[in-house]
Amino acid sequence: MGYLDRTARSLFLSELLSGLGMTLRYMFKPKVTLNYPNEKGPLSPRFRGEHALRRYPNGEERCIACKLCEAVCPALAITIEAEPRDDGSRRTTRYDIDMTKCIYCGLCQEACPVDAIVQGPNFEFSTETREELFYNKDKLLANGDRWEAQIAANLAADAPYR
Amino acid sequence: MPKLTIDGIEIEVDPGTSILQACEMLGIEIPRFCYHDRLSVPANCRMCLVEMERSPKPVASCAMPCGEGMVVRTQSEKALKARHATMEFLLLNHPLDCPICDQGGECDLQDQAMAYGFDRGRYRETKRAVKDKDVGPLIKTIMTRCIHCTRCIRFSDEIAGVSVLGGIGRGEHTEVGPYIEQAIQSELSGNLIDVCPVGALTSKPYAFTARPWELRKTESVDVLDAVGSNIRVDTRGAEVMRILPRLNEDVNEEWISDKTRFSYDGLRRRRLDRCYVRRDGKLVPVSWDEAFAAVADRLTGVSGDRIAALAGDLADAESQLALKDLMTALASPHLDCRQDGARFDASARAGYLFNTTIAGIEQADAVLLIGTNPRFEAALVNARLRKRWLRGGLTVAAIGPALDLTYPVAHLGAGTQTLQDVADGKHSFAETLRAARGPMLILGMGALARSDGAAVQALARRIADSVGLVRDGWNGFNVLHTAAGRVAGLELGLLPGAGGRDRDAILDGCAAGHLDVVYLLGADEIPGDRFGDAFVIYQGSHGDRGAHRADVIFPAAAYTEKHALYLNTEGRPQLTRPATFPPGEARDDWKILRALSERLGKPLAYNTQGELRRRLAAVNPAFGRIDQVTPARWQAFGAAGALDPAPFALPIQTFHQTDPITRASDTMAACADELFRSAETIATGRTGTDG
Amino acid sequence: MAEFWTGVALPLVLIVAHILAIVVPLLGAVAYLTYAERKVMGAMQLRQGPMLVGPFGLLQPVADGLKLLGKETIIPAGANRVVFILAPILTFFLSLVAWAVIPVNAGWALADINVGVLYLFAISSLGVYGIIMAGWASNSRYAFLGAMRSAAQMVSYEVSLGLVIITVLLCVGSLNLTDVVMAQQSVWFILPHLPMFVIFFTSALAETSRTPFDLPEGESELVGGYFTEYSGMTFALFMLGEYANIILMSAFTVILFLGGWLPPFDVAPFTWIPGPIWFALKLALMLFCFIWMRATLPRFRYDQLMRLGWKVFLPASLLWVVLTAGVLVTFGWLPE
Repeated sequence: MGYLDRTARSLFLSELLSGLGMTLRYMFKPKVTLNYPNEKGPLSPRFRGEHALRRYPNGEERCIACKLCEAVCPALAITIEAEPRDDGSRRTTRYDIDMTKCIYCGLCQEACPVDAIVQGPNFEFSTETREELFYNKDKLLANGDRWEAQIAANLAADAPYR
Repeated sequence: MPKLTIDGIEIEVDPGTSILQACEMLGIEIPRFCYHDRLSVPANCRMCLVEMERSPKPVASCAMPCGEGMVVRTQSEKALKARHATMEFLLLNHPLDCPICDQGGECDLQDQAMAYGFDRGRYRETKRAVKDKDVGPLIKTIMTRCIHCTRCIRFSDEIAGVSVLGGIGRGEHTEVGPYIEQAIQSELSGNLIDVCPVGALTSKPYAFTARPWELRKTESVDVLDAVGSNIRVDTRGAEVMRILPRLNEDVNEEWISDKTRFSYDGLRRRRLDRCYVRRDGKLVPVSWDEAFAAVADRLTGVSGDRIAALAGDLADAESQLALKDLMTALASPHLDCRQDGARFDASARAGYLFNTTIAGIEQADAVLLIGTNPRFEAALVNARLRKRWLRGGLTVAAIGPALDLTYPVAHLGAGTQTLQDVADGKHSFAETLRAARGPMLILGMGALARSDGAAVQALARRIADSVGLVRDGWNGFNVLHTAAGRVAGLELGLLPGAGGRDRDAILDGCAAGHLDVVYLLGADEIPGDRFGDAFVIYQGSHGDRGAHRADVIFPAAAYTEKHALYLNTEGRPQLTRPATFPPGEARDDWKILRALSERLGKPLAYNTQGELRRRLAAVNPAFGRIDQVTPARWQAFGAAGALDPAPFALPIQTFHQTDPITRASDTMAACADELFRSAETIATGRTGTDG
Repeated sequence: MAEFWTGVALPLVLIVAHILAIVVPLLGAVAYLTYAERKVMGAMQLRQGPMLVGPFGLLQPVADGLKLLGKETIIPAGANRVVFILAPILTFFLSLVAWAVIPVNAGWALADINVGVLYLFAISSLGVYGIIMAGWASNSRYAFLGAMRSAAQMVSYEVSLGLVIITVLLCVGSLNLTDVVMAQQSVWFILPHLPMFVIFFTSALAETSRTPFDLPEGESELVGGYFTEYSGMTFALFMLGEYANIILMSAFTVILFLGGWLPPFDVAPFTWIPGPIWFALKLALMLFCFIWMRATLPRFRYDQLMRLGWKVFLPASLLWVVLTAGVLVTFGWLPE
């Protein structure tokens, strides 16, 4: 019986036809891909994108050079140097993130006691050279200024779950 | 011998032992803030509370002496609850600013809050804020963080001997700080930073520059004075970020002087990072090859007796031996390791060592200081003397300038005349010494760095013999050196050979044209104008006085950058370890000398540091016993001679600036400046209370 | 002079116009076949396919063409230059020349010759030369291996292809393609000869090196097969030739089995639609099948390919020829 069954199956190409049937059915299913640059998927408030250094509403930078993010960074992507600013407060003189090393784990954001370093919603920051991905403090602060509204909204949206 | 039970374990302790100490013997950890091994016990933080049977309340274990039959529980519910509550009270007014606090990561309060505290606060009211005090260029104060443990007050009162700090106000208004806001006039003030369990007192030069977890720790030895304090060099990348003390009961206990602690910024300024050769009166950067060629050219045809060498204060044992071997190979007898011009007989080891040893000071009960200010020359020897004095029964007298040593010192006289009197038994202090169980004599460089140094040394030996300084198991004859490299040089015999010149003779020879070439191994304390027309080769780490006059400069490593052996004033060999790399083309000193010898066609017989160390031990077995003092036999030394009636001058006038490293340090410059200004304030009678 | 116009020039112009009328739509079809392939495969894989160039990515083939035109034609240092350049030209040329005999409607063929089937068969067999030349001239191991596989594969499947055609010809009694179509007026040959249709279609896949028989260019083992070394315009010619061949084989299948331009039922609503439209629709269906196969089936192993060709298709088609001939003779249905 098994022999007959097998023979019949191969003679009438049943497997082949069922395969063809499957691809045909799939052809009419809704597509899962997006037409990316024109359409974008939804992002969670917790999305971990490009880094940014935030400021207080009065323009004072939040980062106080505690170096916790540097310590927690598993990829050793963050480099901080600090010294007392002229007014005696603790500030960074250098805050570099090597975006080519970064693994976007979000631990820096978790570690930050003042919500200074955050991973914003931006994921479209590809560059033409490697060097452009070595972010310095100016670039990070500029990111913060540019994305502040959305970052603040995201933090507020996520706050109840923390 | 009271016997008590702690957490169910029976223990028998010496009478007077506190419960906290008994717990430590058992390995039970008791949290504490105010208690410190080396300070008195105020029992005011209440963190060390334990439960004791038959006591209605928990007791402060640091202040409760063990009694017979006590039953103590350290982990009971009551004890833990007491600690929780204490911690909560401490944190009421302590700001939550750990992220910007330099103590963060190495803070007692932080650690103990993690171990014994609640995970949240219940305090919703406004926290107290306290104005920060200005206590000089070394210590940064953030007094809001202070938990009033009073360790700093006790340290300055007891160890440093300057009663400038205290608690002012009561209850919530208590503030710890200086009575009069001014720089703390102590050479041990940096230890306040270590003593402070929180971030109230932190290092000003180190402020905000690094975190403890990013630092690489290297155990090393300080070379800025002859004490050989044990230190830990903390580095980040290629930079020394700070220097901390390391426990060594025989040398520095757990303190270090401010010079040791804060002069590290001198290690990155004015460094020599490549070779230079003087061409047409100007120093021109050259390669090692060219520099060696310049030296080789100059030395061809120069006979050995026209070459001289001087070793500086910071030269390590290896390089001094290499220098001596090189000079021997060049057939030059003119070499000296005493760049300050000290003259004494170095034929017997007992004649130039601190024979009593620093720890031995604690057994002394009469001390005669001759031409020395231990407070400046060896701050930790002075701290030992003060520690001994605090225990009571110590008489200290000084011959030389009048001194403020933080404890009473009888001023016997200014110069050799008084010394002569003591030696002849005419002075009453001779009797004091004779009667003492632990008599000591400390001969400083102020008495030896004179034309009659050897005679003063002989006179001091006469005192030793006449009052019986040397007894069974006790040698009270001590020489207090000021240079870390000196004892190694003396032990190796880096001294004028047969017919050789000492320092002054070398300089005179240069001026008179009898010497053509002088090799300076880090010798910077010599006036440049005394070299005449001699060709000066300088090897050292900093562009200081020596390099200024040099015709050829070899850049060398500083003490934080090399494996090296140093002997402190006791003759204790200790090792420095490289914490960073030497800058640029700078190399280890002995390697430079080895390479130069090769170039001169007289290669030294060692290629590795191991071989060199073995040769050191062969020359003098003392070098083979690391960290151990090899006691010196009491032999004849000293040379009789005419005595100069002039008063003894002190070798160190400015505590903070004594060598190329400290002179290059901005922090030390600021300290010297501050000290100068304070002295001016005192001179003009302005105390700060006159509006 | 007038004689020249009527005797030489006018026919020449007419022929050129005829040729253009075939080639231009053909090339357009080739271009949009690539687009359709990407779209259909995308849809079957739940993707969108090209979307960026033009509305729905409709200008994608144009962009691709321009891109290929703009690229440098690289000729490898060790290549035989003449043969290397000749190979894609030959492939492209052959794929176009075959179209001379394809009737799109009754009498709508450039050359309605009597041996149309033979011509077509001959031309399509010549295709192997372009491939062999390309593989050999490239002086590359990958290209050469690809060419060897391709040659072996084409030769193998042409045998059963020929036998299938013989089966059809037995029923038609003519080698003229128009006659082949007209013979299906009562019933399309796909019905009586369904197994032969399957064999023919499968062999056509193999003949055009399409999945699951794309071993000559098996990317996973041979990089790009015989056109590994080709780039720019030469590569484009190969691609054009290959896709034109696919359309040719589809047209051949339509003519042999699906009744050419004939409507499925000879009744009112179907007969309103003109023949060429029917032809085009059937052609499109066949092309869809080609793409559908590609989207569904994985590649054959080489030994499986050979086994299928020689041990299954050859005996089966041979049997069917004998069977058909027997039936025709027995029942006297042989065509005149």
